[in-house]
Amino acid sequence: MSSSASNPEYVNARVRSRRNALFSDEDYRKLIRMGPSEIARFMEEHEYEEEINRLGARFSGVDLIEYSLNRNLAKHFDDLLEWADGRVYDQIARYLRKFDVWNVKTIIRGIYTDTPSEEIGTDLIRAGELPDRTVDRLLEVETIEDVIEVLEGTLFYEPLDSAYEHYEETGALVPLENALDRAFYENLLGDLGRPTEGPEAMYVEFLQAEIDFRNARNALRLARSGADLDPAEFYIEGGVLFDRSELSRLVSDYDALVDHIADDPRYGDRLDAALARLREADSLIAFEHAVDAALLEYSDRLSSVYPVSVSAVFSYILAKEREVENIRAIARGREVGLSEEEIEEELVIL
Amino acid sequence: MIETLPDVALAANSMAESVVLQAEDGASGPAIEQGAAAAIGIGLAAIGAGYAERGIGAAVVGALAEDSISAGIGILLTVLPETLVIFALVALFV
Repeated sequence: MSSSASNPEYVNARVRSRRNALFSDEDYRKLIRMGPSEIARFMEEHEYEEEINRLGARFSGVDLIEYSLNRNLAKHFDDLLEWADGRVYDQIARYLRKFDVWNVKTIIRGIYTDTPSEEIGTDLIRAGELPDRTVDRLLEVETIEDVIEVLEGTLFYEPLDSAYEHYEETGALVPLENALDRAFYENLLGDLGRPTEGPEAMYVEFLQAEIDFRNARNALRLARSGADLDPAEFYIEGGVLFDRSELSRLVSDYDALVDHIADDPRYGDRLDAALARLREADSLIAFEHAVDAALLEYSDRLSSVYPVSVSAVFSYILAKEREVENIRAIARGREVGLSEEEIEEELVIL
Repeated sequence: MIETLPDVALAANSMAESVVLQAEDGASGPAIEQGAAAAIGIGLAAIGAGYAERGIGAAVVGALAEDSISAGIGILLTVLPETLVIFALVALFV
């Protein structure tokens, strides 16, 4: 949005320092042995002091941990957008809009199920590009039509508007949610072109990977559940792993699908171990974790290859998301009484 | 990051042009005096140092805002490219 010069040096310096403040793998091993209140205590002593203190009076136990994690994530990602200017801002915002999608979806679902707006409000992650003012207005409105009206001028308006008719006919939220996802993913690669070298190319490759894995995940789930859905409807343009017809063909044959991913020159090697497990066991979760870990490792490497580019920011964003998910998994796991080994299975540790 | 490069190139270009003009005027002797040549060298070195410090300065302010380095280290890193100008000063005295 901003037209001023881009400032990757400044953003990089701040982001790298915050990256170092994240929990280390050592810390996770400590956290696995703690109960929910101890985890909250541990978080308070580290990065999450402010959020735990602010929410401590209203929530307790796992809820406290979960809401603090979301607040902290939102705070840090908002900071990123605040620091960045010019080109860097654009590159970061493209990815962070995924939280806008999440928020709008949550609000629409809340309205659909008549949930009070305070309750919806606590579930939002205000990390996206939509300003707080707009999000607050979205929380106040009472019908889905008004939600679409408030979003006028954003990139979600048109797809939502055209999906609304469909929603009125069927009464199901799926068309609206698909429209949101589609708007996000189509904008992700939108006008970037196809640079062939340097950090720009890596950035595009990174976003393509995001789309590819989303497609792969959807396809694997469809193949596994055997649901009778048209896979082309879930296909997202822009990836390099599948094209539309390939995806439709592969969904019916699970083994061929796994082979197709393994044969891909770009991802096959990196996901070797995960694909082997996917073949023998039926652990889709393990595969998703392996994908997350592979992406994170890759972005880490890129951030040392291209020190002054957007790579370091992405390595931070991914690492922070991973931290939030790991702590949440630990807290939830402890709550339902999983053993330490079982929780460790759920974590994404490099 | 690249936006400022054309300006630098432009400045260097116009300097080179004036040098060529002078060369056409003067029938004998070197195109420019030794002192003037050294001045051009120092000036270019200063432009280079300034450009380098721009990036480092931005990064240092960012790091200082996160409290990850001390102000002393920050200032030291920022002025490191200044050594370029000092080396260029050598040209004045030889």
